[in-house]
Amino acid sequence: MITKFQVAYKNLLRKKVRSLLTLVGIALSSWVLVSLLGFNQGYEASLNKDIDNMGFQIMVMAKGCPYEAATLMLKGGTGLRYMKESIMADIAKEPEVQQLTPILMSAVFDPNKGESGGIAGYFGVDAKSFSELKPFLKFKQGGWFTDPNAYETVMGYEAAELEQREVGDKILMPEKNVQFKVVGILERTGTQDDGTIFVPLKTLQKVFGTPDEITTIGLKLKKGVDSTRLEEKLYQLPDVQIVSLAQVKETIMKLISTAKVMVLSIALIAIMIAMVGVINTILTSVWERFQEIGILKTIGAMPWDIFQLIWIETLLLCTTGGVLGIILALFLSKVTDVAMRRLLPYAPGGGLVMIDTKLILVTLVGILCIGLLSGIYPAWRAGRIRPLEAIREETGR
Amino acid sequence: MKTHLLQPLDICKTAKGSLGKRLAMLLSFLLVLAGYAPAWGAVGCDLNDPDRDVARLFPESTSYKTIYTSILKKGGQPLLATVERRLGDKFRGLYETIDVPYTIYEIYTNKQKVGYIHGVNQKGQFGGIQVFVVLNIEGTMKGFYIQKMTSQYAGKLRDAKFGKQFAGLTLKDFDHYDVVTGKASGKVEAIKNPAPEAEDDFRAALRATKKNLILMDEFVYSAPPAPSPQEALKK
Amino acid sequence: MNPKVIAIETKNLTKVYTRGAEEVISVNDVSLCIDKGDFISVIGPSGSGKTTLTNLLGCLDNPTRGELALGGRPIFGSGKRLSERALTKIRRETFGYIFQNFYLIPTLTVMENVMLPLTFYRKPGTENEAARLLKLLGMDHRKDYLPGQISGGEMQRVAIARAMVNRPEVLLADEPTGNLDTKRSVEIVQVLKDLNQNTGLTIVMVTHNPELARQAGRMLEMRDGRIGQISTINDP
Repeated sequence: MITKFQVAYKNLLRKKVRSLLTLVGIALSSWVLVSLLGFNQGYEASLNKDIDNMGFQIMVMAKGCPYEAATLMLKGGTGLRYMKESIMADIAKEPEVQQLTPILMSAVFDPNKGESGGIAGYFGVDAKSFSELKPFLKFKQGGWFTDPNAYETVMGYEAAELEQREVGDKILMPEKNVQFKVVGILERTGTQDDGTIFVPLKTLQKVFGTPDEITTIGLKLKKGVDSTRLEEKLYQLPDVQIVSLAQVKETIMKLISTAKVMVLSIALIAIMIAMVGVINTILTSVWERFQEIGILKTIGAMPWDIFQLIWIETLLLCTTGGVLGIILALFLSKVTDVAMRRLLPYAPGGGLVMIDTKLILVTLVGILCIGLLSGIYPAWRAGRIRPLEAIREETGR
Repeated sequence: MKTHLLQPLDICKTAKGSLGKRLAMLLSFLLVLAGYAPAWGAVGCDLNDPDRDVARLFPESTSYKTIYTSILKKGGQPLLATVERRLGDKFRGLYETIDVPYTIYEIYTNKQKVGYIHGVNQKGQFGGIQVFVVLNIEGTMKGFYIQKMTSQYAGKLRDAKFGKQFAGLTLKDFDHYDVVTGKASGKVEAIKNPAPEAEDDFRAALRATKKNLILMDEFVYSAPPAPSPQEALKK
Repeated sequence: MNPKVIAIETKNLTKVYTRGAEEVISVNDVSLCIDKGDFISVIGPSGSGKTTLTNLLGCLDNPTRGELALGGRPIFGSGKRLSERALTKIRRETFGYIFQNFYLIPTLTVMENVMLPLTFYRKPGTENEAARLLKLLGMDHRKDYLPGQISGGEMQRVAIARAMVNRPEVLLADEPTGNLDTKRSVEIVQVLKDLNQNTGLTIVMVTHNPELARQAGRMLEMRDGRIGQISTINDP
């Protein structure tokens, strides 16, 4: 026995070009929708990963206009304002704090980096507390510094790759002309740590003549504590400002959300246009088969049977187009990633487009629902065709 | 003395109110990220600003084309063995590997190809050295450029006077240069080291130049011509 | 002698169409009896109402007034207009239809076309009917062909098989030879005649060709919506 599915499928093959064009329209809309939903997921996941990989939940920094500091840094100044290292003892007393680590960010100008020179940045860290806050950091070669005062360095994977360094090699800090021995090279983390050069805090303070001064304190809080209360307390400290990474994430997401809403609207408009295309294709097909549908009723098809036939055609088009669009989105996810990175003012490391099984299923179901909606009118219209009208129209009687 | 290179935002002056606090927080976060060195992705050796650098290194050029290749793509293990044999040294370390990407800039004057620019990474005493050779269509060096180097004496090796010593040299001149011992003869022996204190980096620059020329010979100058469309079809 | 079973009976069956301000009586007060096993041809000039009458007999339309019963079961006459859904139910249990234009589905093979009615409605015991009918009508060697690949006469045979697959009580044929040449026309009418004689299938055939009309058992002549003459044809 022949099924309604077979009848519907074979009918779509009657006008191959028309069916193909409708499919392409749906596929393109699905591709846009999946890519954008994947971007929504991926951006947030990557941002979370970047923030989690910082290891800190709160950063305490020296007070000052960060904008001004940033421009100073970019133009070659040391830029950042300093805090006294002793402030750590005050912060450590707070009951909410589980662990903290001091960081000194310093930069020098390297005139031999390209045509007009460039900045070389260094992070002075306390290896013990820093590695406790970032336990996921693994070494490809070597390990942390042997002494807090040693002239040693640990390099992020990509920093080492660019400088062609291995454990045992030396690096030279330009401007200061100080040599450091490479004692460790980290494995890739997919974060900013990959491009970082770490040296012992005490050593960096000595090199830059800033004893007991640091630029940042990274804090990890105990589970379940109220971070807002701690932040309020920390704000009372003189000459510091607080960066709560949870709030930063929230702010970034809010900034991005306007763009996201706009972009999703475009995707939905694309879907609606595709829907209109589907309705048009199916309706045209129904008018072309006016007599045929009438005859189907003479051979026993009820209005619901005709409705089902037309609806199946619509579902077939939407499902096939949707699947093609999803496949296209999967193949082109890298391209979408690159395009988004160029457009966005800030993009976290890691993939920006995350298309997982759940997203694929949700999109497919969404497209199916849209297909069902699109098919209702043409299918209802076809179900109402009376056989006598069909015969009369053909014969003109 | 502080210099306000950009207009400070009002939020920096007051940072009062929750919106101001949040934005200041955000900027501080971004500043921390800016404090990290940029995450380098490529292991290859590209010109930092090709439009500017090609025009400077090849003044008669009107356009260029960028081609990406690697030893792995071009010939795999047998090609690596050939290159090592010609270099007189094995590819060393974590980063000098068969899959390193190489960027060849094909230089054109109007529609005529007139030469190439190609760079390689070389391990120096204190950091990576990026050495570019500028070649004419016959394979003779027109120019020599160190894009990046870390050394107290980098200025001397990056000086134009040092680079001029390479003009007119060919791969043949490097045939008898031993990259391991540093022994040279002929035109290569005549190249003066302007920074004797940085002998290691001087020899690294020469090794990089010889490797660069060998790679260009294998990738471009001695490579079999591309098959005609008919021959390609027959395959 | 077995009493004859009446397949279709009408009393004062009338159909009036309104065209603007004008009323056209297409079928006017027709009363007739078609017995089970009859082969009736309906002949008449264009506009005589023969097609409208056949449409009413086949429950393709509601009459304006009058009665119609199928196998003794009243269908029209209570004054109530039957819905399209109700008409479809009656049609698929009782009738098979063939038309001048065959109306085969071009994307389905011959076998698939014949099986198509079973997709929507299947009487018990009709699972193998399609294959049997194609063999009976000499079309089983074409079962995998598409309608575009067979001749007009073959298409009409396929249409007959499709009309028969659900074992209808009555076969209605509206100008079945209208698009065929003389030779094929004669063949098709012979097929209908054989079906009628061998299986006892009741057939009502509309035609404007008197020669073909005389192949039936009885011939109804229609004019201006009324039945003029009813002739019984004796086989030579």
